[in-house]
Amino acid sequence: MLEIKNLYKRYGKFYAVNGLNLAIPEGEIFGFVGPNGAGKSTTMKIVSGLLAPNGGEIYVDGVDAFKHNRQIKEKIGYMPDFFGVYDDLKVDEYLDFYASIYKIKDKDRKKIISDLLELVDLGHKRDSYVDNLSRGMKQRLCLARSLIHNPKLLILDEPASGLDPRARVEMKAILRNLKDMGKTILISSHILSELAEMCTSIGIIDSGKIVISGTVSEIMQQIYSKKVVKIKVSDKLDDAVLILKEFPFVDKITVGENIIQAGFDAGDEEMSRVLAALVGRSIPVVTFAQMDGNLEDVFMKVTKGEEQQ
Amino acid sequence: MINPVLMKEIKVKMRSWKAAGIIGLYLLILAAVAWFITYLNNNDMYSATINPQFSIGAYTGIAVIQFILILFIVPALTAGAIAGERERQTLDLILCTKLKPRTIIVGKLLASMSHAILLIVASIPMFSIVFLYGGISVLEIAQLFGFYMITAIMAGSVGIFFSTYVKKTIAATVLTYALGIFMCFGTLFIAAVYIRVFYNYDYQGYFPLFFANPLAGFSSLLMDQFGGQYGGLNFIPGLNFTNPYGYKGTDPWLINIYVDLGITVVMLFLASIKINPIKRNIFSFLKRKRKAEIIPKPN
Repeated sequence: MLEIKNLYKRYGKFYAVNGLNLAIPEGEIFGFVGPNGAGKSTTMKIVSGLLAPNGGEIYVDGVDAFKHNRQIKEKIGYMPDFFGVYDDLKVDEYLDFYASIYKIKDKDRKKIISDLLELVDLGHKRDSYVDNLSRGMKQRLCLARSLIHNPKLLILDEPASGLDPRARVEMKAILRNLKDMGKTILISSHILSELAEMCTSIGIIDSGKIVISGTVSEIMQQIYSKKVVKIKVSDKLDDAVLILKEFPFVDKITVGENIIQAGFDAGDEEMSRVLAALVGRSIPVVTFAQMDGNLEDVFMKVTKGEEQQ
Repeated sequence: MINPVLMKEIKVKMRSWKAAGIIGLYLLILAAVAWFITYLNNNDMYSATINPQFSIGAYTGIAVIQFILILFIVPALTAGAIAGERERQTLDLILCTKLKPRTIIVGKLLASMSHAILLIVASIPMFSIVFLYGGISVLEIAQLFGFYMITAIMAGSVGIFFSTYVKKTIAATVLTYALGIFMCFGTLFIAAVYIRVFYNYDYQGYFPLFFANPLAGFSSLLMDQFGGQYGGLNFIPGLNFTNPYGYKGTDPWLINIYVDLGITVVMLFLASIKINPIKRNIFSFLKRKRKAEIIPKPN
């Protein structure tokens, strides 16, 4: 659905986007992760036709975004990270304005607006002035606005930023609905755990380049080549360590208070053999679990833990 | 199909009390002027007849006040059109739609102008007072209102231009007024200096810079309507506003209208280029290569 090839954007000598390549298949929810100033918003603005790049190619649904700029805008729904609303319009008038821009016929317009307001759970607010909406409601209204022309690709720049936990949950639910509707979504966020939950794949961007991309599990595998297993025992800690050392595929054993952490260069079968050995030799094992490196760790690791502004 | 930006703006603007307030205040000022002029005439105890001079005086008085009000109000209405969208962070939301930049610019101009035009149209009954005394024809009123409209559109396009190029509404408003002051008085000053230095006040003609001066065009129109008999606006020797000095027989105020239309087209064109996110450089439309095709030098 979206293909970005060798994209560059330069501000003076600084490259905000530096040879970025990305391909998002149809129906995916792609999480765009990166520190501040990494180039997420710049990339999203270029794709949405709000910034001119210094080089590269972008194809949306197979159409060259630079050659057919207006055609592309029909296929894209964009929600910026910071946006304003026309305070002196009512909710349905606000959507009606954008519907008129896309020349949606009057007879269809009412139904589309009603459906969208239901989708974002603002049906009860259609006669309220936009000014009177809460921040979360404004975010949802802006999302509805970006959907008014039924775009195939949604570009959402930090859609949950500044929302309280309840509003975040609501926003996540809406995005899941959109995924079910078959929309392709490019979403950026700083809340990595949220992205991990709802995205089908993730790309981590740093210094204007995609550093790593794939599904969450693929990324974990790329970063952590070995499995890390955490073993908690209630007693006989030293004996347990000795047993572990008997297995050649176990290394990097670190010991804490009743907890052993060990690297396993092995499959599930070997791991079960180790567990059986521990239990068989009367080691009181409380926990034996493979650790999932979390996305925050991955993020810090691949972006060198630096915030760039 | 009506421009969607225009539709939205009209809906929003006419909803607020501000719109009615501005129209009310505007008409109140004009009515006060009309009343004052009538009062002066009716209290002329030495005259028992209708003085035809009164008609000219009343007409000129209301016309001048209206012209000044237009020159003051229009920049205020238009200078915030685009800059205001930028400040409210709503501009990107419009730009990312399939709306063409020129549609946005024209919509914004028309929306602002619709308000100014409403003010002008609402003032028509005020001018009917001169019909009581005769001396001014309907055609002359139509000419005056045509001139108002064109001048308002020109002033509006200047406001839109600065609103597009400058980020803040206040700065855009100041720049619009500054250019307006230059067009009205700066050109007069330049002409006066030029005529003094090169002609020693013996200049015979309508100074070319005056074709861009709304005040000069307006004076020329009134002179033309009064048959050139009130040529007393030549307050600085050599600065002529009267018709005998028109270019190749065309009335100067008509050329002013053409120049105003030219300024409007240029201003709107430049504003449309500037507002287009993919063509921020005003000269980029001359380049054959798109920016996207420039091969960058990676760091």
